Amino acid sequence: MSTRRSVAAVQTLLAAVAALALLECRARPAQRPQSQAEQAAPAVPPAALVKVYLFFPGDDTLLHREIRDVPELSTAGTTRIRSVVEELLAGSQSGLAPAFPWAATVEAVFVDRSGNAFVDFTAPPADAVQGSDTEIMLAYAVVNTVVANCAGVERVQLLFGGHEVDTLGHLDLSRPLAARPQLVAP
Amino acid sequence: MSRTAAILLVIALIAGTPAVAVNVATPHGPVEVFSRGDLLDLVALLRLTGAQVAFAPAAGSYTALLAEHEVQFTPGGSLAVVDGRLTPLPGPVRTLEGHVVGSAATAVALLDPMGWTLSGTEGEPRLYPNASGERIAVELVPSANGPLVVVRGTAQKPRLVAGPGQMTLQFGSPLELTQPAHPQGELLGVDVHENTLTLRLAPGVEVASTYSLADPPRFVVRLAAAGTEARGELAERTGPLVVVDPGHGGDDQGARGPGGEQEKDITLAVSRLLVQRLQAAGIAARLTRESDDTLALVERTALANRLKADVFVSVHLNASPAKGARGAETYFMNADATDAQAAQAAERENATASSNGLELILWDLAHVANLNASSQLAGTIQGQLNALHGITDRGIKQAPFVVLTGATMPAALVEIGFLSNPDEAQRLLTPDFQAEIASAVAQAITSYVRSPQAAATPTVGQAP
Repeated sequence: MSTRRSVAAVQTLLAAVAALALLECRARPAQRPQSQAEQAAPAVPPAALVKVYLFFPGDDTLLHREIRDVPELSTAGTTRIRSVVEELLAGSQSGLAPAFPWAATVEAVFVDRSGNAFVDFTAPPADAVQGSDTEIMLAYAVVNTVVANCAGVERVQLLFGGHEVDTLGHLDLSRPLAARPQLVAP
Repeated sequence: MSRTAAILLVIALIAGTPAVAVNVATPHGPVEVFSRGDLLDLVALLRLTGAQVAFAPAAGSYTALLAEHEVQFTPGGSLAVVDGRLTPLPGPVRTLEGHVVGSAATAVALLDPMGWTLSGTEGEPRLYPNASGERIAVELVPSANGPLVVVRGTAQKPRLVAGPGQMTLQFGSPLELTQPAHPQGELLGVDVHENTLTLRLAPGVEVASTYSLADPPRFVVRLAAAGTEARGELAERTGPLVVVDPGHGGDDQGARGPGGEQEKDITLAVSRLLVQRLQAAGIAARLTRESDDTLALVERTALANRLKADVFVSVHLNASPAKGARGAETYFMNADATDAQAAQAAERENATASSNGLELILWDLAHVANLNASSQLAGTIQGQLNALHGITDRGIKQAPFVVLTGATMPAALVEIGFLSNPDEAQRLLTPDFQAEIASAVAQAITSYVRSPQAAATPTVGQAP
């Protein structure tokens, strides 16, 4: 294969990969369950609800599962990941602590072919993340939530402000983390 | 204000917001480039290098050509084709307000194959051919806390790699010395090669700590007069050595108490007491930092590795988003982290002329053995803490903590309590309780180092 054909083939591959697997999700707000008034509107058929499994920190410094009904999620990997992480960022509905100590938003989501998801959050303000427990809860709330709801994702790497970070102070965040079921309260 | 008025105000503010641009210094003078937050116009930057950039609608990708180099990238993707090879980018390429943008790291990754470098992206960006670099000056400045090597003209925080008789600082962009650095006292010489600055140190001198300063930007390396002392410890030691690491320090304040108390101060106070207790029990012990110094996480274990310590214990106070969280817990390294990356980290820290494949294999064997020993060490520490009155037992846990990665000896990180819990913070701040904690941890370490398993645990230096 000539160099030009090789480049053309790689170019096609790049376009296909970008289109199929690595396209950044368009920002869309997390969908919320409709209010009673909205649900009562006759013209709009009720959306099918599905369950998402979210993990929030408790006083026992374990993650506690919160099951929430949301409108049907996209099956597309990155869109689905963004949706469940935005549900997590919206906070607990049962009084558990927030996973993030600042008002973080999802900037971008990517998935590679090895089942690693990369979720880019807005960078934390200075001194926002204090204590190893805060870091562990933050990281594994995201990792466990994504892995629990998104088939095919095995590990998650957290990015901040568009950058890889080595750590927020304690935990090694320089690579994708696997889910840790042992951090979830029985 | 009515809701309508508020909405109108927001619309007016948005409409009146000018496009944000950043001035990029180039060899031909400053050029304004579109920017939003930390996103930069990638096509504009590539064109500043003289590259021809064109969009191919069929492939949906951009192609930049400069001399024999070709880079292709696609908005929405985080891959590029660099000279025919598929290459991951640090971040995605996006389309924003008609511009093709990406993070500074992505810009650097696209510019590098074209032979150009973008630096100073957190302040005033500078675009220049790779042949020329950031202009720095290096000088030795005496201080009460030991001689300081001051690297002026850079805001970068380099990665440090210790070697025999030298310290290598690896920067993110090429460097250029404004003037030759002549030998001065503890600094025998300075070499610059591309991104690397090498400080050649006098015998017995080592790096104690590093930190960055602004206005003007400079990076400071504090040399330790204790370097000779460290070598002495190594040569003369007959019993076990414990390295105690007071968590955080300097710029890194750690967690904050309800009255603004800083974790770094409490860890130092407890660690000092812990070292005193160990020494009183006849066990050699030393701190990673003696005062309020900034010390990178990897430097802490690197010190313990250089000294061939038998035990490494890092002391921390915790904080949690759950305000009711309380208690003490002890961590050792997560098994997931015992992979090639951790081995490479240790190898990097312990870089010596003899580092080779065999050294890595020995390190791996030692590290697996250390996992079991670290588990025992953590269990012993947690057991002693649990015996204290009023302690909530949070147990022994594992986590991939950076400060434990690369330790070539049994290592643990002890979280002595939660500063975020007002009741517990009040107790943690009292000197009496700090002394109790120090005594309990010292008792645990003493018990551990005198146990048969500790004696049987190899370290890299002792491996056959």
